[in-house]
Amino acid sequence: MTVQPVGSRPGGGVQRGSSGSGLADVIDTILDKGLVIDAYVSVSLIGIEILSIDARIVVASVDTYLRFAEATNRLDLTKSRKPGLPEVVQTATSGGGGQQAPQPEQPEQLEQLEQNKERSPLEAAGDKLSDFSDAVPRQRRQEG
Amino acid sequence: MDQSATYIYGVVPQDIEVDAEATGVGDPPAKITSIRHGKIAALVSDVSPGRPLGTPKDLYAHEQLLNATAAEVPVLPIRFGAVVASREAVVEEFLAPYHDEFAAALTELEGRSQYVIKGRFDEDTVLGEILAENPEAARLREEISALPEDAARDHRIRLGEIINQSIEAKRDADTAAMWDQVEPVTVMRTVRQPSHELDAVHLAVLVENTRQDDLEHAVEDLGRKWANQVTLSLFGPMAPYDFIVSQDQDGE
Repeated sequence: MTVQPVGSRPGGGVQRGSSGSGLADVIDTILDKGLVIDAYVSVSLIGIEILSIDARIVVASVDTYLRFAEATNRLDLTKSRKPGLPEVVQTATSGGGGQQAPQPEQPEQLEQLEQNKERSPLEAAGDKLSDFSDAVPRQRRQEG
Repeated sequence: MDQSATYIYGVVPQDIEVDAEATGVGDPPAKITSIRHGKIAALVSDVSPGRPLGTPKDLYAHEQLLNATAAEVPVLPIRFGAVVASREAVVEEFLAPYHDEFAAALTELEGRSQYVIKGRFDEDTVLGEILAENPEAARLREEISALPEDAARDHRIRLGEIINQSIEAKRDADTAAMWDQVEPVTVMRTVRQPSHELDAVHLAVLVENTRQDDLEHAVEDLGRKWANQVTLSLFGPMAPYDFIVSQDQDGE
């Protein structure tokens, strides 16, 4: 018997993979699950404490509620299609510009909307985490 | 000064052979070796106490080693970040005192591995359902569109709260449906906390390796039924992270 990498297998309509799809899934699994060795022996946990705290994002918050409300208001109940670009643009400009020509800040707003739509807090945390761990891993919690 | 410590990944049966190419945490990634004691062995690598752990690369390395191992042999995964002072300490403080307990757990895991089932609601579909089912949500949506943005803030929060509650209820229902669907083909099941606000299902299951195809088919069947509402993913085989409980750990 050996230890070696394993490939994923095809899985019909269901997405398949050997593990989670991103850093958030990994954190979810290996920082939160598995045997806690210090239940058995004293060990030093080197610099990982902050990472595990950051990963514990509360799922529901006012931000979540506002995001849901926004997504609901964007929803076109008369059609089954997903909101396309024109609809998003309309949302982005409804504050002021009316039917004026596109304004310079528009692309930015658009991007913001898209980001809000696509990214979960945890995924965002994952990004933050990677920035963070590149920058600050020198913080040591316990030693020896 | 640069004294080496020992990082522990997991516990396996003593007769496994570690792939010479296998690497783990650290930069450059450290070579994996095993430390045997009686019927069991620990998968370990040297780690420099001077370098903090926890970069994304470290996390992936830990997970990938355990998952690759789990695909071949039973393995007790250790939570990320376990370091002891020396190779000798691995035996003295860890393998020897708990030898029988670990050996028994490995026997129980023989021929079994873990999978994780994840489902994500299609946002527009689920929001449409909620508006159709919940008159208050539909009314709030109308009111919000008639009000200036500042004035509607409370309405928006209330609407979002209703949506969140409705999604939680749907999540519970879908999780229960998936649990029932996979129960006949799995050994154990456990519900994981949602990792995303649109999670529909997040389950970990322990399955006999001979029944992996049955599991896939069971998940796919429900996936077809939910095709427009929920996107399903099936991850595995992986180490049985969700089915290993150490002493004094239950209170967590």
